Amino acid sequence: MRAWRPILAAAVLSAALAGCGSDSDSAGETTASAGPWQFTDGSGQVVKADKAPTRIIAHAGEAAALMSFGIKPVGIFSDESVKTDPNLKSLDLTGIEILGEEWGKIDVEKAAALRPDLIVGDWWPAEKAHSGMEEGVDEKSKKLAELAPVVGVTQGKSIVQLAEGYEDLAESLGAKVGSPEIAANKKRFEESVTKFKAATAGKSGLTVAAMSPADDKVYVANPTYAPELLDLQGWGLDVLNPASPDPGFPYWENLSWENADKYQPDLILWDGRSYTETANAEWGKKQPTWFKIKAAKAGAVVAWPAFWLHTYGDFATELDKLTTAITAADPNVGA
Amino acid sequence: MSAPSKYATPRRALALGPGLALLCGALAVVAFLSVTQGSRSIGLGEVLRALGSLDNDGSITGTVTLELRVPRTLLGILVGAALGVAGTVLQGVTRNPLADAGIMGINSGAAAFVVFAITVLGVRGVGVYVWFAFAGAIGALALVYAIASLGREGATPVKLALAGAAVTAGLGSVTTGIMMTNVDALNELRFWQVGSLAGRYTPILTGVAPFLLIALFASMFFGRALNGLALGEDVARGLGQRTGRTRAVAFAVVAVLAGAATAACGPIVFIGLVVPHVARLICGPDYRWILPYSLLLGPIVLLLADVVGRVVTPPDELQVGVVLGVLGAPAFVAIVRYAKLSEV
Repeated sequence: MRAWRPILAAAVLSAALAGCGSDSDSAGETTASAGPWQFTDGSGQVVKADKAPTRIIAHAGEAAALMSFGIKPVGIFSDESVKTDPNLKSLDLTGIEILGEEWGKIDVEKAAALRPDLIVGDWWPAEKAHSGMEEGVDEKSKKLAELAPVVGVTQGKSIVQLAEGYEDLAESLGAKVGSPEIAANKKRFEESVTKFKAATAGKSGLTVAAMSPADDKVYVANPTYAPELLDLQGWGLDVLNPASPDPGFPYWENLSWENADKYQPDLILWDGRSYTETANAEWGKKQPTWFKIKAAKAGAVVAWPAFWLHTYGDFATELDKLTTAITAADPNVGA
Repeated sequence: MSAPSKYATPRRALALGPGLALLCGALAVVAFLSVTQGSRSIGLGEVLRALGSLDNDGSITGTVTLELRVPRTLLGILVGAALGVAGTVLQGVTRNPLADAGIMGINSGAAAFVVFAITVLGVRGVGVYVWFAFAGAIGALALVYAIASLGREGATPVKLALAGAAVTAGLGSVTTGIMMTNVDALNELRFWQVGSLAGRYTPILTGVAPFLLIALFASMFFGRALNGLALGEDVARGLGQRTGRTRAVAFAVVAVLAGAATAACGPIVFIGLVVPHVARLICGPDYRWILPYSLLLGPIVLLLADVVGRVVTPPDELQVGVVLGVLGAPAFVAIVRYAKLSEV
């Protein structure tokens, strides 16, 4: 996913996202229904086949989502090592071919040998492309799309919709979506949302900004293109909308370090891919203007699960961490 | 090779001294712009107050002026001068009009050592990478020189160019190989992909400044030696010059200049390539003039490009490497097209 790129310069891959993906299930019994199959892709196109696909190649988080419903792909490509990818690191990947562990690089020859009949990757509306085939990837990687039809749920307005979309896809592929494990994750997720809403309601006036500091500039996330931030906004958290996102890459507004203090939130949601316990102190020392953001100076920072969530279980785990941070936050820090 | 008399008319030589003073003035103006202009608009009065008190009162304008812009400007001056002079010396000593830090293995050496530091030694942080990049640049240049020196006739221009290309390719493939298997290294190295003056502050400036100042000072005495080499190997030797030693000393100085500059700011190749040509265009073939002109033209071009990059897209900035590419390439084409470049 291209949204990774601009912050990669600073990325010290996150070790802070432990405990994700506990909803996994690798019992890959797929009983695809006979007869014609179809699915409406995030781009709006309807993809059809004579029978439900069974040999699936999927991008990291999408694979995790399908596996949570018992659909085991034959191949996976991810943007980083499958040992550190927040979606995959706790899953059992035995028997699944790893086709790439770096953004933009997919071994299409290996993929072709798997004879896939479906490729699954999120649809990114800002880039009008599926995960793995965006602008900027190796041209060779894009040939993956020639092996089989590509479908994906849109990275649109909500992670809940994304999770539901993959539930629908899994169901169309023959998964039993009513298992007690899945129901338990949904229930846990709903409880987490309730707690989150209560926490935000108790903190009127709290504003947050989702940020990612990097060596030559600071990035402020644009919630319009970050479904998890839209969800948080919908549940009452005042996530700041940056005034002038990069027109060519609207996931972020880019601030030079001279302008690091343009926004003064009360709490900083720190890109989870580069967040560490000591990151705030380190950036404060390294960049003279980072602590001009009052929240940073006050140490009011928390990891934000940036652009990777796909399942109820992961979202519940991450929401609980945010709820704790919001409960502890002081709504007057940035004033 | 052009005979000196063809370009260096006495009249021209007389004008070169005042021209140098003029360039000093221009550099002062550009440096002033670099401190007063930026992606954050700060009133002139506030900038001057911050500069006048030289004391950061904790306000954001004071911090931006004194801790961001001043070190950035000073670094720009030093690095611009280093790149300009290094390019001039390299072009002179190798008699290759396309010589610059990029083709002599300097950038690839710096990158390879940074990758080595990340993967093998497990170190992190821009402040540390600087030293590995520096060591890598010097190491690569030394390797190029050593390879080119093999054989009876020593380090001839052609052998230097070939050795440079070979070392660049070799180190480049090592770097790529490691990065393919280590995503962490790749992410960290992206910092070096486009040359930039942003995000480099006082520690980096004070770290590389002593090396650059000493090497710049030393390089100003190369004029006569380079003039000799420009006449060709045999003539230079016939004039009593020890060409092998000249080349070795010149390479050592270039290694320090380009190595420290690349370590601090990443690969900024354009300055080293073009500034010597512009200086030669103004001065004719006499390196005693070309060197000081490069010394001043380098920072003027670099700082101007940086200021442009800072003001075009607020609150964002463009890296100086990007600006130089966008503005510099057409400018270079224009120079080549409309002005007859003097030969090396």
